[in-house]
Amino acid sequence: MNKFSLSLLAVLVGFTAVAQSQETFGGQLHGNFQLDGQLYLRDEAIDPSGEFFPDERFLGQGYANFVYTQGDFSGGLRYENYQNVMLGFPEGYRGEGITYRYLQFKQDNLDVTVGSFYEQFGSGMVFRSYEERGLGYDNAMDGVRVKANPTKGLYLKGVLGRQRFYFEKSPGIVRGLDAEYNLTEFMPKLDSLGYRWTIGGSFLSKYQRGNDPFLVLPENVATGGIRTQFTKGPWAVQAEYAYKANDPSSDNGYIYKDGNGIIVNLTYSKNGLGLIAGAKRIDNMSFRSDRNGSTIDMLINYLSPTTQVHTYALPALYQYATQINGEEGIQLEANYKIKRKTKLGGKYGTLISANYSVVQSIDKQFVDPSNDTLRTLQGYTSDPLARGDIPYFHDFNFKVSRKVNKRFKYTATYLNLFYNRSVLEDGLGDEAIQVNPSNQKLLNANILVFEGLYKIKSKHYLRGEAQSLRTQDDRGSMAMMLLEYSVAPHWFFSVQDIYNYGNPDADQRLHYPLASVIYTAGTSRFQLSYGRQQRGIFCVGGVCRVVPPSNGVSFSLTTSF
Amino acid sequence: MKKVFPLLFSIALLSLFSVSCDVIEDPFKGGTVDTTTTTQQQRNVLIEDFTGHRCKNCPKASKKIEELEAAFGDRIIGLAIHAGPGNFTNTTADYPTDFTTAEGKQIQNFFGTNFLPVGMVNRENWTASGNAHWSVYDNWPTLSAEAMDSTLRVALNVEARLEGSTLTVTTEALPQMQLLHDLRYVVLVKESGIVSPQLLPDDTRDPDYVHMNVLRAFVTDHWGETLGTSPMVAGDVLNDSKTMSWNSDWVKDSSAVVVYAFHPDNYRILQVVEVSID
Repeated sequence: MNKFSLSLLAVLVGFTAVAQSQETFGGQLHGNFQLDGQLYLRDEAIDPSGEFFPDERFLGQGYANFVYTQGDFSGGLRYENYQNVMLGFPEGYRGEGITYRYLQFKQDNLDVTVGSFYEQFGSGMVFRSYEERGLGYDNAMDGVRVKANPTKGLYLKGVLGRQRFYFEKSPGIVRGLDAEYNLTEFMPKLDSLGYRWTIGGSFLSKYQRGNDPFLVLPENVATGGIRTQFTKGPWAVQAEYAYKANDPSSDNGYIYKDGNGIIVNLTYSKNGLGLIAGAKRIDNMSFRSDRNGSTIDMLINYLSPTTQVHTYALPALYQYATQINGEEGIQLEANYKIKRKTKLGGKYGTLISANYSVVQSIDKQFVDPSNDTLRTLQGYTSDPLARGDIPYFHDFNFKVSRKVNKRFKYTATYLNLFYNRSVLEDGLGDEAIQVNPSNQKLLNANILVFEGLYKIKSKHYLRGEAQSLRTQDDRGSMAMMLLEYSVAPHWFFSVQDIYNYGNPDADQRLHYPLASVIYTAGTSRFQLSYGRQQRGIFCVGGVCRVVPPSNGVSFSLTTSF
Repeated sequence: MKKVFPLLFSIALLSLFSVSCDVIEDPFKGGTVDTTTTTQQQRNVLIEDFTGHRCKNCPKASKKIEELEAAFGDRIIGLAIHAGPGNFTNTTADYPTDFTTAEGKQIQNFFGTNFLPVGMVNRENWTASGNAHWSVYDNWPTLSAEAMDSTLRVALNVEARLEGSTLTVTTEALPQMQLLHDLRYVVLVKESGIVSPQLLPDDTRDPDYVHMNVLRAFVTDHWGETLGTSPMVAGDVLNDSKTMSWNSDWVKDSSAVVVYAFHPDNYRILQVVEVSID
């Protein structure tokens, strides 16, 4: 073990020594800590002009959570720092401070939180406050939340506050109520018949001052929703409908049209067979606590995607993002485990799955402003029964997972992707595409992924991935190889390379290598990586953020107690 | 208790229903733009519009400034700063004009953003770790209206004269109240009516797009120079004069001089004026 490894070990042992929950004043103190940093290296191949090379050369960011609990009381805080925020994260994170703090107690069927909190009504179409640290997304509420369970089966929630906007607060106030009734708890007979049934409803309103010199802005904007979930044996159905009143905003181009959304999911699961069918239609359902908010800032609601999220590197390059101004789509999925000790299933059984999802625009008949004689600023009309004619995305994938023997198992995946880059990367609106459909930038790709895991000996594992993305569009075809070697429970080594061999620009047929080593000790983990990151662009609602290319040495330290 | 909870919840729900939704039947304000004229100077608005000729949504921001100029005249002063990121502002064969300036890039880096289009309205609400000084173009009417309604703290009288190749800008500042901070000011040249390609919102290229309010150069340092030192009171008169060499590529009749005075601690622009060049 060299000098560096010894130093690293000493640091981690030090962290591990304190990485125990603390008994304090009769209660429990828990916490976790993460620190990420990257030393950026100038790389003229991916950034010829140095446009994205940070002046600081080293960027680092981190956070620590502390949670104290004693009986029915808890309190906590989170400290965050960005010196300065790393490339690819929202630039709004500048500086440092305590961004999340709360006190919570439970008494007399009441659960009261003051300060910061996360909460969700139903699927989130009306309200969802949550954090997605990897994306730099955090719309935590700061205010008061009350939850109550006044009678068997009835669950009430009330929220009042403002949302986080990086190190500030949104200008709008959010206030909402949610009620969910579990009929099965109320009527035991349903339970005895094997039924599970809940119904729920939400109402939420935001207030934001309006001082536009030209427009009468609605300062109070309301939204509401109803939902149900029903289960019987292997069958389950979930449905939610939401409505939003006039809400002119940057997202919708300051139109006064109301919005609505519906999501329905049907699932079946029995004897190794799983089926999922989902459908969604949303129309003008962007909802923020600042009508001028953009990208991922101050969103009040959450519109869940009805497409599969891929974790493999090449399919993840063309991931679908919900189009908050309007979309409709379906998703169908089937999973089946072929029984073991059969000809097809092999000794250990084989899992096969197929997934198909498709998303397109909704029907939109735009109103020419010169014909808007009533000056209602409705923007467009939409027939919910008519199909939109702009394809956004489709994904068909088929996967086979099989354990061959005690040492080796594999997963093979095929994907066929269609990805409308004009909509999903450039943020081009439906109206512009309807005027000039031939101007769309589209991508069709076929992707193959083979993943294998081989157990060399006790605690020693080798995992590999081979991926191929073939396309004539965008940056062209790519291939990827990855090898990971892990020695449980401490060491993990990884090397990978993406080769963009099909790039139409010969100078951009580059390799994107990445090597990592991870050391884990108890609840602490240290990762050191060196590699090159491809550039990308991320647009929502017409405003774009560049996710810049980079090259450098990065590290990450996490620990908890 | 079991009966009280649903009752209280119902009351809360009803009260929320009753107060929390404004349905607007007629969205337009009628004749609310103040067209009264006054000889007394009022607080004007500088909209720094960070833009790029390969940024397709940026023409929407320019159009918003034109709408505000049409409504409020010379109280709205637009400044188009082509600063980056490079994939929006760099030149190509299709977009050959380099509108960028090193000073514009430094300003963008200092205030911190990679979004386009985005802007600052009188640099209100700046904090070192905050983001509230940035706004999207849809918010500029509201922010401009609020800034124009606020109290004028210092008035500016400016004259700009081009003699030969020397531009001379004389500035007179008149504090309107007691100022317990230093006063710095910036003088710059902008040019409008430049015909050069621009990417449009529908992803097409307009080869004959007319670029307006393009930042050309700073006459003072772009972080400003001292115009007055604390304390200052109403009745004080502060004078300064600056010169620079005129770039012959700029069209004088399409150019203008912009002068703004600002608070040196929070960068808030207290007054801005635009004058044509004699």
